[in-house]
Amino acid sequence: MTLLSIKNLSVKFGEQEILHDVNLDVENKELLAILGSSGAGKSTLLRLIAGFETPSAGEIWLDGKQVSSSTNLLAPENRGIGIVPQDSALFPHLTVRGNIEFGLLGYDKAQKHARVQELLTLTRMEEFADRKPDQLSGGQAQRVALARALAKKPALVLLDEPFSALDAELREVLRAEVKAVLKAEGATAILVTHDQEEALSLADRVAVMRSGTIIQVGTPTEIYNAPADLGIATFLGDSVLIEGEVVDDKVHTALGKLTALNHIEPGQKGVVAVRSENFYLQPNPNGESEVIGRVFFGHDAVVEVQTPSQKIRARSNGPFAPEVGMRVTVWVRGAVNFYPNSARN
Amino acid sequence: MQKPPIAIFALGIFAALAALLPLGYLLIRLSAGIEKALAELLRARTLELLANTLLLTVSVTLTAVVIGFAQAWLTTRSNLFGTAFFAVLGTLPLAIPSYVLALAYTSVFPWFNGFFASWITLSLATAPYVFLAVSAALIRSNANQEEVARSLGLSSFQVLRKVTWPQVRPAAMASGLLVALYVLSEFGAVSILRFDTFTRAIYNAYRGSFDRTAAASLAVVLVVLTLIVLYFEKRYRSNYTRVEKQSRQLRINLGGWRWPAAALLMLIAVGSSVLPIAALLGWSLSGEDWDLAEILQALGASLGIAISAGLVIGIFAVAVALWNVRFPSKLSSGVELTIWSSHALPAIVVALSLVFFGANLTPAIYQTVWLLIFAYLILFLPNALSVITTPIAQVSTAQEQVARSLGLGKLGAIFKLVLPMSKAGIWAGIALASLAVLKELPATLLLRPNSVDTLATELWAATETLSYSQAAPYALLLIIIAGVPALVLNAQARKLISEVNVK
Repeated sequence: MTLLSIKNLSVKFGEQEILHDVNLDVENKELLAILGSSGAGKSTLLRLIAGFETPSAGEIWLDGKQVSSSTNLLAPENRGIGIVPQDSALFPHLTVRGNIEFGLLGYDKAQKHARVQELLTLTRMEEFADRKPDQLSGGQAQRVALARALAKKPALVLLDEPFSALDAELREVLRAEVKAVLKAEGATAILVTHDQEEALSLADRVAVMRSGTIIQVGTPTEIYNAPADLGIATFLGDSVLIEGEVVDDKVHTALGKLTALNHIEPGQKGVVAVRSENFYLQPNPNGESEVIGRVFFGHDAVVEVQTPSQKIRARSNGPFAPEVGMRVTVWVRGAVNFYPNSARN
Repeated sequence: MQKPPIAIFALGIFAALAALLPLGYLLIRLSAGIEKALAELLRARTLELLANTLLLTVSVTLTAVVIGFAQAWLTTRSNLFGTAFFAVLGTLPLAIPSYVLALAYTSVFPWFNGFFASWITLSLATAPYVFLAVSAALIRSNANQEEVARSLGLSSFQVLRKVTWPQVRPAAMASGLLVALYVLSEFGAVSILRFDTFTRAIYNAYRGSFDRTAAASLAVVLVVLTLIVLYFEKRYRSNYTRVEKQSRQLRINLGGWRWPAAALLMLIAVGSSVLPIAALLGWSLSGEDWDLAEILQALGASLGIAISAGLVIGIFAVAVALWNVRFPSKLSSGVELTIWSSHALPAIVVALSLVFFGANLTPAIYQTVWLLIFAYLILFLPNALSVITTPIAQVSTAQEQVARSLGLGKLGAIFKLVLPMSKAGIWAGIALASLAVLKELPATLLLRPNSVDTLATELWAATETLSYSQAAPYALLLIIIAGVPALVLNAQARKLISEVNVK
């Protein structure tokens, strides 16, 4: 069932169009990530969904009711949409418990207590219930912010870059926790992020956003394996672009004849995008290519190779990565995505 | 852009109109009797008042800057011992209303009056303002530049003149101009010390002959002087460049000069606070003729009026701050600017215009506590506003949006989130306004109902009959219940004392 439906949504601040013709459906109980670089309009979209901005055109429907249009705006307090801001924005004058129960307006004392206790347990914050926000770590503060947003069992929760202020290690732990909490509550959530790893690892579906519009929606695997255009292909993961031409049913490139994943027409010219992990470097003293750089990460290594036609970056199993100066033959593993030049502009 | 709730809008507009009232009404009154007013202004007497006022303003300002700078430099930049102790001493005069200081001196030395006496008294009373501003600038100024200057061959005195002074000059100028504003509107001290400046002449013209046109003409000249100083003060304040906080400071070795320097600071402290308090204690203890019941009654009246006025001012300040911070618009900033425009108006001018206004247009509240509280609102709303705006501005948009998303409306978010979060700051603003009301003299004298005697007016009445032993207990009470708490609440002073300790 579709919970949230965004139809042809546009918004302008003065002359500048921040969002242009955005269309997006969010299904009940799913976790959708909106992925885009900064300035793509992700946060503006969240504010529109929450009801803090009025669209200049288009509509937002929540649970079968129109909540936003250029002429009609349901107040944020009447939407039942929880928000978790980037900096957690806890209320500093209240304890953890006070923050979580802040929105439980119609509840009686026993109900309030039971609900708060439930969320404290779920977010593993029981022992911190009586602390003030300034005595919490960044990760704890975000967990409280999540519990506060979930307290009233909102129809939808919006998370605006909730992990960006945390260090890398904590981020990974908290991501898993947040996902578990959201699933345990049966919540529908939209997460905004610029971190592709976060979007791919966390979300049920990912919506990729670029310059104010959504350009592709799909499961993480779909998005990663079949980027809709060259822009997404280079934005997601580490891709190397190689020029090629379609001859019969193969793409002919300097690195061999490759099978395309997408639809191709004979005679088309364009580029293929090869993920760096899909190169295989075969040591060969008579190879035409030479290793010219190597960055070792332990579990793997990024190897820079000069082929006769261009430089490529290949990701290779760490301990077995070839050394600088070795000669190799470069193979492309599996099928690739082909983007004809005619579709580029 | 969001619209403010109607209550906030109404309170804000009322406060802005109130701020415009004194000057507006004064001008209307004057234009009605313009020939008489002009004749009044062209008298030799006006010229004499102008000369007196300017002389006092300039000499006090210069003296306060010299004293304040010396105190600031010695406590933050020299290797003087006990710098924290001297910093506390330097701020102590802030606890003593200047008319109390004047009373203390004149009660001990009957010959202590006129220009010289006013000059000394007001310089001692205002030096702390310069001291606080300049030490803050000195603490923040960059020691690296001074080290570079020394390495380029400048002596420590040359460094002081060519590197340190330029860095603190904006702070010294701005605080010096504040001192000038203070002197222009000063009424109690110059009256007690019998030196004729505009404020005293306005009061006497009104009280002595009920000559309202004369009083109003003089008031307009005083306002013009104030506006000139205010113009420069604004200019210097905007030029004030903040240098990033620097914890490391270069302290100059005074060598053998440490003792004379310490003696100088002690002498200033003795003159500005120790001696006056000792004198007042002496008078209070020696006098048998003071009436405890009367004192308690005045204390009760003072506290009652101060607390009510503080709460009223607090409500207006919260409304204006909310409007300007949470629902900003051109109108809201216009309202704030208007309210600020009255902050430098001498209290005697505000009081005088309210006397005219009250007697003619609102006789129902004339000679009641309400008109008095209205005057305090005009005089002290800016003080409360400056304290209350900061905590309200600290509630972030994200926090407010979270509250809205949790089901609170605009008003709900204000009452359940913004006000509780800024509670401490709001109470501080109310307390500061109440303390200012406690010490206020000229408006209280002119506008109080005849039946109401406050600490300040009782002190004034006793001083007029030279009954110093009767005045002294009121003076001490004012220091204890108004001066000391105001000093403790003074954020700038607290910050300085904590920072001077960091070596």
